[in-house]
Amino acid sequence: MALKALDIYKLLPKKNCKECGEPTCLTFAMKLASGKVKPEDCPYLDEKAKEVLGASTRPPVQRVKVGVGERSFAVGEEIVQFRHEKTFFHEPGIMTAVSDRMDADTIQGIVADVRDHILVRIGLDLRLNGIAIRSESGSPAAFAEAVEAVEAVTDLPEVLMAEDPAIQEAGLAVCGNYRPLIHVATRDRYREMCALAVKYGCPLAIRAPTLDTLAELSGLCTAEGASHLVLDLTSPSLHEMLNSAVAVRQHAITRTSPALGYPVFIDTRPSRLPDAALICGVLKFGSILVADAVSEESRKAFLVLRQNIYTDPQKPIQITPGIYRVGSPGPDAPVLLTVNFSLTYFTLQGYLESSGVDSFMLIVDTEGLSVLTAVAAGKLSETLVRDALKEFGVPDLVDHRKLIIPGYAAPLSGRVEDETGWKVLVGPRDAADIAEFLEKEWT
Amino acid sequence: MTITTLSDWTGQVGTVTLGAMKADGGTRSATVTIGGERDLSFIGTPPTGHRPLIAYELCDDPSLWPAPVTRFLGDRASDPAEWARWAGEEYTPDLIRLFLTSTRKRGFSDFASVTTTVENVLQATGLPLIIEGSNDSDLDSEVFRRIGEAGEGERFLIGTAEAGRYRSIAASAMAYGHLVIAQSPIDINLAKQLNILLREIGLPHDRIVIDPYTGALGYGFEYSYSVMERIRFAALKGDDDLAMPMISSAIDSLTVKEVREADPSVSDRISVAWELYAMLPATIAGASIVCVRHPSAIQPLRAGIDGLWSAPAGKGGA
Ligand code: B12
Ligand code: SF4
Repeated sequence: MALKALDIYKLLPKKNCKECGEPTCLTFAMKLASGKVKPEDCPYLDEKAKEVLGASTRPPVQRVKVGVGERSFAVGEEIVQFRHEKTFFHEPGIMTAVSDRMDADTIQGIVADVRDHILVRIGLDLRLNGIAIRSESGSPAAFAEAVEAVEAVTDLPEVLMAEDPAIQEAGLAVCGNYRPLIHVATRDRYREMCALAVKYGCPLAIRAPTLDTLAELSGLCTAEGASHLVLDLTSPSLHEMLNSAVAVRQHAITRTSPALGYPVFIDTRPSRLPDAALICGVLKFGSILVADAVSEESRKAFLVLRQNIYTDPQKPIQITPGIYRVGSPGPDAPVLLTVNFSLTYFTLQGYLESSGVDSFMLIVDTEGLSVLTAVAAGKLSETLVRDALKEFGVPDLVDHRKLIIPGYAAPLSGRVEDETGWKVLVGPRDAADIAEFLEKEWT
Repeated sequence: MTITTLSDWTGQVGTVTLGAMKADGGTRSATVTIGGERDLSFIGTPPTGHRPLIAYELCDDPSLWPAPVTRFLGDRASDPAEWARWAGEEYTPDLIRLFLTSTRKRGFSDFASVTTTVENVLQATGLPLIIEGSNDSDLDSEVFRRIGEAGEGERFLIGTAEAGRYRSIAASAMAYGHLVIAQSPIDINLAKQLNILLREIGLPHDRIVIDPYTGALGYGFEYSYSVMERIRFAALKGDDDLAMPMISSAIDSLTVKEVREADPSVSDRISVAWELYAMLPATIAGASIVCVRHPSAIQPLRAGIDGLWSAPAGKGGA
């Protein structure tokens, strides 16, 4: 963990001069501990204090960017071990693997799928992130050709998986300017690999048989000038992968081994359990995950799991309260009440769209709670509905006075009628039944 | 220096044993023990405590069961005893979890059938059993008494106790020697409160399994994942009222949109994916028993748990 407020306070000048904008040095120390201010905000820090505070406020897991352009992504900058302690920041990039033994058509088929496939969920586009190219033929020319095949159809971020520096360089000659991740430097050839990473300005994955030797290798590589590192924790054993990933995260955020303060790389292939390895990688600190093509069903589940785990636990994904239109509703169109939890909104909206009935959705502010949760917590009330009808000008939009409420909000129906003067129709519990309901009840 | 995981935990998850063999007054062919961890799940070589187990869920009224499963099972789903025998032998789960869904019909009053169903399932399989009784407090006392009596001495895990209704369940467990699932809605404080209530009416901690409530993948799973981590955390820090092992079942998995609306040709695969991608994470978050409904989910889940549990023999390194 970063320094505690009291430890920081000891390093401050204790002048209480307020020049940092804080009333006392102690408040400044507290804000610094939680990352709300920067050490430079105090003009009177001595050199030693600057050094200590600077190092301890730098993110404990270094940021590393892979690729260039629209689909490039950054990983690292994580500060906690458990998501409930704050949140996880950068979701892992998943790289679909191709081999230089495949022909160009096969490679391009896989690449096009990664490039084009989008799973839209709660209004967000969920996608795989890039391509890993495995050197399996042992030939620099074949590797370069495979990289060319990928480059010809996409600018997705890449991982070049070739341990032999000569083969690696053949790949870099094709795409080195696009910031691929170089995989992998081991103890015996780290100098050549570091030189390539420096020459092309690329991030570098490193691998060693134990965490101690990995920490040592990381020091050697930074000394060679390769400073954007990724730690390869691939193992045939999920048990070892999990244990080393947890150890790396713990040592990074407690700063007991700053040499391990880098994002983690995992190739799921050696485990022979691609689903389990992906799951383990998403939950426990993988940042770059390589997987051979997974089934359509696994991909869906994987993308949703990643979205779940990387959602900020302090704030549910919400949409702004207001009146939303489905199709082009007129004055006789139905008005449906729901909450501002994104998942709820998009679920209902999807079913309304497919019902083909033009309608208004009245979204009230339940602080991002789902219908059932909001009802249980007392966050969905008749006054809230009354005020929302007024605030969003609903009476001027329609010439009827009928409001459809979610089935789970049925206990509120009487009170909403009394408070608003609108007639309340209790809809189905499951939004999937909305088309049938509208057909019967809305004529 | 050797870099390994850091742990300065002082507490330990309690152990709970399910099922009883002949010597202990039951008829099970094996018993299972869960809990005992002194660190996070799967951490340490070997890991602390007991390996997470898989319960296979079935019911006595399949009209209330998810379509992908009943489609896969065909006629088997109409007889819970045959269903339990078949699943136990073909798919080798560690436990069978029977839901008495027949009691969830309006006006249910055929209490004798509860006894018969439980007895038949006991005969059909030697695995330890988890039994889920009624969902209606008016039926509770009779339904749970029947379950308890029919399985006297078998050390069932029975459920589900909640803050508003736990007395009949606890009474049956205490009278007939069973264990209780204590469920709270994704909230560590409510979980703790319920455990205290149960302790106060005389149910010892080693007869409680916590169910923190599990939302399906994409439908609240992240909250459940984190609350499980927090409960494990509390146990390891020494809070005895949260130091029971946990059970996790994402019971809505097979009714979520992605699964329900999938083409029947991929219905089995998407069902397995949705159960696997919630239940393997649940074991990592700290659950000791994870539950599935599609039988084909058992094998990949088992492979994942085994892989996380131990390094292949003779293999070292990072
Ligand atoms: C995740 C979750 C939480 C999260 C919050 C998530 C969120 N952003 O809302 C957290 C952990 C914070 C939480 C807290 C609580 N929860 Co909670 N939670 C859930 C869980 C697992 C999933 C909720 C969800 O995401 N549903 C998905 C969305 C899409 O559902 P929905 O909004 O209801 O929308 C559906 C329908 O209502 C309908 N619909 C929606 N809008 C409309 C509009 C119209 C017109 C129509 C016709 C239909 C319609 O369509 C949608 C799809 O079918 C549910 C269990 C469940 N199966 O629902 C429990 C659940 C809702 N929670 C419950 C409880 C009790 C609580 C708490 C009160 C517990 C506590 N701590 O005190 C708190 C309350 C919150 C608070 N005080 O802060 C109970 C409610 C019991 C009850 N029946 O009243 C549940 C059912 C769990 C349980 N069985 O115990 N919860
Ligand atoms: S500027 Fe520095 S010395 Fe002055 S109050 Fe702030 S922290 Fe203290």
